[in-house]
Amino acid sequence: MTDPSNAPTTDDAPAADIILSGRGIRRAFPVGERSLEILHGVDLELGRGQRISLMGASGAGKTTLLNILGLLDRPTEGEVWLDGLSAWTLTTPERAQLRNTSIGFVFQFYHLLAELNALENALLPAMIALPHVAYRHKREEYEGKAVAMLERFGLGDRLKHRPGQLSGGEQQRVAIARALLLDPPLIIADEPTGNLDSSTGERVLELLFDEQETRNTALLLVTHDRRLAQRCERMVHMEDGLIQADSTLTIPT
Amino acid sequence: MYRWFLSLRYLRARRTNWIGAAGITVAVAALILILSIMSGFLEESRNHLRGNLGDLIIMPNQDSPLSGNNTVLPKTDEAAMMEIVRANPHVSGASLQMAWYGMLVPDSKSALLKHPVFGDLSLIHLVGIDVPDEYGASDLKANMQASDDSGTFKVTPVADLQRPFDPPPFYYSDGAPKAGIVLGAQLAAAWNLHPGDEVELFSLGVDPITRSVEDQGCNRTFVVTGTFRSGENEMDMERVYVDRRTLADMLGRTTAWSQILVKLHDYEANKVAAVASLRSSLAEGGFVHRPSGDDASDYYRTEVRTWEDLRGNLLGAIENEKSLMGIMLSLVMVVAGFTVFAILSMMVSEKRRDIGILTALGAHPSGVMSLFLMIGCWQAFLGASLGAVLGVLGALNIDAIETKLSELFGIQIFDRSIYLFDHIPSVIEVTGVAMIVLGAVTCTLVFAAVPAWRAARLNPIDALRFE
Repeated sequence: MTDPSNAPTTDDAPAADIILSGRGIRRAFPVGERSLEILHGVDLELGRGQRISLMGASGAGKTTLLNILGLLDRPTEGEVWLDGLSAWTLTTPERAQLRNTSIGFVFQFYHLLAELNALENALLPAMIALPHVAYRHKREEYEGKAVAMLERFGLGDRLKHRPGQLSGGEQQRVAIARALLLDPPLIIADEPTGNLDSSTGERVLELLFDEQETRNTALLLVTHDRRLAQRCERMVHMEDGLIQADSTLTIPT
Repeated sequence: MYRWFLSLRYLRARRTNWIGAAGITVAVAALILILSIMSGFLEESRNHLRGNLGDLIIMPNQDSPLSGNNTVLPKTDEAAMMEIVRANPHVSGASLQMAWYGMLVPDSKSALLKHPVFGDLSLIHLVGIDVPDEYGASDLKANMQASDDSGTFKVTPVADLQRPFDPPPFYYSDGAPKAGIVLGAQLAAAWNLHPGDEVELFSLGVDPITRSVEDQGCNRTFVVTGTFRSGENEMDMERVYVDRRTLADMLGRTTAWSQILVKLHDYEANKVAAVASLRSSLAEGGFVHRPSGDDASDYYRTEVRTWEDLRGNLLGAIENEKSLMGIMLSLVMVVAGFTVFAILSMMVSEKRRDIGILTALGAHPSGVMSLFLMIGCWQAFLGASLGAVLGVLGALNIDAIETKLSELFGIQIFDRSIYLFDHIPSVIEVTGVAMIVLGAVTCTLVFAAVPAWRAARLNPIDALRFE
């Protein structure tokens, strides 16, 4: 934000059909007195509605890149454009709002709030988005939406259950409902099936892909599983903090 | 919206939060209770310390020249002085008094056998009064009829309130009829004196007006006509009322007064203005010394005083004790604040992952901060309001509580004979309660702010990695 070279100009903005664009991303972490660079200048563009997989061995920098693309971490160098906005030129509240409305996160460990039931967890993005009075006005609308989604995901009789009373697959489905509540143009999923057995994982993934297709949302999927990656239209392979391969696939239907 | 919702959820989910609120409750309740009791003591003590003093006392210093350069002494024309005092708009009553020191010897020596600890003599404060005027300037009339009590010092009223110094109807004198005196109830009890008993009064050879030493004292026999109880220990132990002219006659003096007792229409509202205007009008007339400068310790300012000035030391001591208690109990509040600090710090570390999730979902740092501040706020609000209710209820029912506790532990917590009160006094000051509640909330929020700020500064990446 303070770096003039980072200042946005309309010339720099990516094309309108690009939802997420990372340019020359470097990220270094201080280790003692030296600094350790994890990302050595990554460029990645994601079109609207695109389904893309990010693969790589542990330590290749996948998670670091994901955090930066998800606006949770600031790159040491480079810029991130999300939905036509240069994220790190915005103020902190503006960036928080952008994260709220434009990105849906699905984590490996579900990350639901233990004190809230399934429905309340799914409603959390709306609660964060709106102040008290505004939320009260729109509460029924959002509740209807969340209930419909959870019912579609097979959780109709689990609405009032706390995360502790739900199985892993059920929790992950609640997390997906939460990610989709505000219809964000981008979903970032970090090994969403990594913690589930293969058949449960398969069903959760099916559900995620279905929703992504019907909503025409872009999906950035981090995975270790090559079979899973092959179901995405684009496969990006990372190694040692750099993108080694970026291939477009034809999805078998 | 999520801040309200989540703060309430977090509050309910963790039982330690109630401990934080309970700490604040105890601190607030204790502060309110103690300050109410101290205010009660202060008020009760004021009533007791006042005794038969009026609102203001005028004691001209008659032997110092009005100014250093000449030798003009203050005038002592009491009629003119009374006129000036009565003309003051604040004054509702004024009465001349003649005060002297003396000793009392009961006529019947049997009293000595019954009360050997008192010796044969009792130092007394002789006060000569004018009866109708005195009733208008002090509470003497009511105190001569006071018929309450727990029974230790019973008041024996005089036969005729309008003529209190007339001997009682059953009194038979074998010589010339004696003049009557009215004693303090404790003095009468100590000497076992009853109406109709004769006592001998000696005057001391020191003139309390001019402070000069007379050649000798004089003595005269009086008859007890009744007693009074003012509630002020010293007064009830030492004071003997007698007719002013009788006293002057006994002492053989031409100046038959030493002070003027003044009652105001509204003492609390007008005391400062009344003292100032009386000082200036009396100085104008040449009766008292003109205060030189604004120095409060100015000797001549003692010529016109309020009764509180006369009892300043005792009242000041209680006032002082009250503020000391307040300061010490405020430390309890600080301890309660630390509890909230510890509880919230624990909660912030426990909820690291939640903070990361909220950040990822679009909450910004100030939102996270206010979420945790709000939890502190709830604790403060619950604790302070419950504490205020308990404190006020406790202050209102302190006597019943004290009785129960005394029964429970088998000891007398409040010894009524020490304080001469038959109940534990308590006065609830609304502003005081409001200040305490406000202070508790502020203190809690200050302590809650630190962990809340730390929560806001938490890096979401670290928080999410935490599993």
